Amino acid sequence: MSGDSSEFQPSTRTRRLRRWVGIYFVVAFLLMIWPVYPIFSRVRPLLLGLPFSLVYLVTVLVVSFLVILGLYLWEAHHGELE
Amino acid sequence: MERWLIVFLTTCGYLALSLLIGLLSGRRASSASEGYVAGDRRLGFLVLYFIMGASIFSAFAFLGGPGWAYSRGAAAFYIISYGTVGLVPWYFIGPRVARLGRRYGYVTQAEFFADRYQSPFLSALLAVISLAAFLPYLTLQMQGAGYVFSVVTEGRIPVWGGAAIAYGVVLIYVFRSGVMGVAWTNTFQGILMLTLAWVLGLYLPYRLYGGVGPMFEQLAERVPEMLTAPGLDGSGARWSWGGYSSAVAISALGFSLWPHYFMKIYTARNVRTLKQTVVFYPTFQIFLVPILLIGFAGIVAFPGVEPADAILPTIVTAMDLPALAVGLFCAGALAASMSTGDALVHAAASILVKDFWRTLFRPQMEDQAQTRLIRLLVILIGAVAYYFAVISNLSLVYLLLLSYGAIAQLFPLLIAALYWKRSTRKGVLAGLLAGCSVTLLWNLFPQLQWQDIHPGIWGVLANLLVMVPVSLMTRQPPAAHLARFVR
Repeated sequence: MSGDSSEFQPSTRTRRLRRWVGIYFVVAFLLMIWPVYPIFSRVRPLLLGLPFSLVYLVTVLVVSFLVILGLYLWEAHHGELE
Repeated sequence: MERWLIVFLTTCGYLALSLLIGLLSGRRASSASEGYVAGDRRLGFLVLYFIMGASIFSAFAFLGGPGWAYSRGAAAFYIISYGTVGLVPWYFIGPRVARLGRRYGYVTQAEFFADRYQSPFLSALLAVISLAAFLPYLTLQMQGAGYVFSVVTEGRIPVWGGAAIAYGVVLIYVFRSGVMGVAWTNTFQGILMLTLAWVLGLYLPYRLYGGVGPMFEQLAERVPEMLTAPGLDGSGARWSWGGYSSAVAISALGFSLWPHYFMKIYTARNVRTLKQTVVFYPTFQIFLVPILLIGFAGIVAFPGVEPADAILPTIVTAMDLPALAVGLFCAGALAASMSTGDALVHAAASILVKDFWRTLFRPQMEDQAQTRLIRLLVILIGAVAYYFAVISNLSLVYLLLLSYGAIAQLFPLLIAALYWKRSTRKGVLAGLLAGCSVTLLWNLFPQLQWQDIHPGIWGVLANLLVMVPVSLMTRQPPAAHLARFVR
């Protein structure tokens, strides 16, 4: 991010990957609201002692973390963090 | 020594340490406004991670969060949901905003938007929206701090006294050290509150029920309706899916645009730092799980606590814990309040000087004079919020409800600014005004409600419906100007 260098253009593959990650997060958002979440918002089975409605959301959170971490590692590996 | 005195002294130890860290950290930045507001754009990952995490988790974390789980059950899950997606836009827009900031010297959110659309009026409008949204938020933090003091000292320190002590410390270190004071104290406060949340969240269910699993077994028998979303509403009836879903949506849209977070984009040392902060934010977010467990732990063991926000202090004081542990709890809850309050005070003062006063009245204002004025306003804003927190009876809850809707109106603006060449000054201004008016209108007239949908959602729709046609009908700025912002 040096002050005056012109903006860095990432490779096509990286841009495509970013788009998929963007789409993933729209899907993740939709998974956590009506009408999808009502299907999974139930008490049982209790997993790790937690109600299923909560485990479901924590799973989305953890998967989201892994997805964005994956994108970051990909960009870092290819020197494309901008 | 008397028990409450040990609690009080432990808390004072925390306050003294916060003050010390806050004062020392100021030496690390220049006295230019870029140093005072944006830390000379040199903050590293760990500090930025804690600034964001600790600013986001306010007094709400230790009072409101458990209070919601206690009184409304799974309704509180919506906080987990919006935080999961809310900060992600930063990964994509953050690097560009940071680069523009470095190149053109922005340190506030409105400086970026006002430059993009060449509009001092937009800058002033954003300043007004920000301050209106900050005030109730800051007021709640102060009340929270005073409240914690009052409960754990069994009323020996009144709410006004507790708020004055905690925020006296905040104002001193923000005044002296600016964003560096916020940054390093938030790191300390963030570690403290994370530790405390996990310890309490796992210990309380264990102590009261023999574990998290047995606790939820009991709750599943007695109050199954509290374990499934959308949970209960404020009156104890079933909340609606419309209310729940739109609460997630409006909070997620506004999340990355709260001005006191947004301006932290400029403090990042580089793009790597900024992206790492977004990537690792969920590791902070997950601490909502133990926070909510605390509230659930109260449902069977301590029924009927009023107000519900008092559930955690009530459990802690009732459980016969060692005084030192209660003192640490008090410190952790204060840390949650103060680490948000400091960022709010600092941002409010910076915005008022940079985006309002300078833009409208003193375009030639010298940089050092700006820093001096920001410092002065830190104290003034602190005093005004204190007045509303403990002296005035005016309820600001209403303003707080409005503020989420108003901040979400900045989302279309952000997308247009960076991705839509054809958007014009008149278009975004008209959109913003329409969005805010509709949000206000739907708040004022609840009979307009449909399916419990948050007023801010209608605001965002109105915003888009006005911004797009007005932009298309008005002339866009010269291509050379646009090239700076839109790829």
